[in-house]
Amino acid sequence: MEQAILRAVNAADDLIGQYQGWAVDDLEKLWQSFVETSRSGRADPVRLKQLYDMTHEARGQGGSFGFPLISVVGDSLCKYLDGRPRLKARDLDVIRVHIMAMKAVFRQGLKGHQGGLTKELHELLGLFRAKVAAQ
Amino acid sequence: MNIETTWENAPAVAGHKSLMSDGYDFSALRVLVVDDSFHMRELVRTFLEGFGIKEVTVSSDAEEAFDFLVNMDPDLIITDWNMAPVSGLEFVERIRKSANVPNRFVPIIMLTGYTEMKRVEEARDAGINSFLAKPISAASLYKRLVTSVQDKRQYVESSGGYFGPDRRAGKRREYRGKERREKV
Repeated sequence: MEQAILRAVNAADDLIGQYQGWAVDDLEKLWQSFVETSRSGRADPVRLKQLYDMTHEARGQGGSFGFPLISVVGDSLCKYLDGRPRLKARDLDVIRVHIMAMKAVFRQGLKGHQGGLTKELHELLGLFRAKVAAQ
Repeated sequence: MNIETTWENAPAVAGHKSLMSDGYDFSALRVLVVDDSFHMRELVRTFLEGFGIKEVTVSSDAEEAFDFLVNMDPDLIITDWNMAPVSGLEFVERIRKSANVPNRFVPIIMLTGYTEMKRVEEARDAGINSFLAKPISAASLYKRLVTSVQDKRQYVESSGGYFGPDRRAGKRREYRGKERREKV
């Protein structure tokens, strides 16, 4: 079993190595979608779904391609957006912070498990979401 | 009242325990992978081929995959949930309810970033065999393949419209009381 898994991991090495290149492009598209939503379409459910879907993709892909922190941040934003019928001004701040956090992960090249940082980031984003929701 | 018909046996997938120390021999499996993300599709395909599976067919949408399904008769399907215009959930329901597929007992693994319990239950009620949450790893995918091979649950058809693996299997093992349908 371990040999089969090792063979699979080795086979996927190149594919995983290419992740950051295209994921940064995808993140830029998410940022652009956020900017457009901020400008005009806060109440537009289609834009909100687009933001959710793009974040949902990032959540699933990050950890699969060696960047678990992207999945941590993506999961936090998905939880915040899930079931929200429209966006308020304070919601935009939450989205901005999450996308900036993902950008920082790539900029710093934070691959693999980052030990205590993963837990801290998870807790920090949870507190942030709770604080905004309580306002 | 919801009446369930129990089917004798679900056909086992082609994987079998080999004599090698390397675990299961999946080389004879035919697997269909459906995901609208090119990168995820390729990652899953690469992992599967790394496990020794020779026949992996990929598709970017459920509509196309349904056409493949009719012709290739896969031993296992791995599908994403969040796809358009036909979602993975609709794809699973269509397979389970269709009279046109070669094998509506085919084991299905739902591969998705959705992890909320309500989503897991929704997927179960559509007729999936198992659920694999993204992010994935080679190890987590391998374990799901093994689970699929070892899954001996019967398939049931209910008057409520459900067809798929017995959803009560896990709970029944723990149950110690009198069965509701037990003859008095």
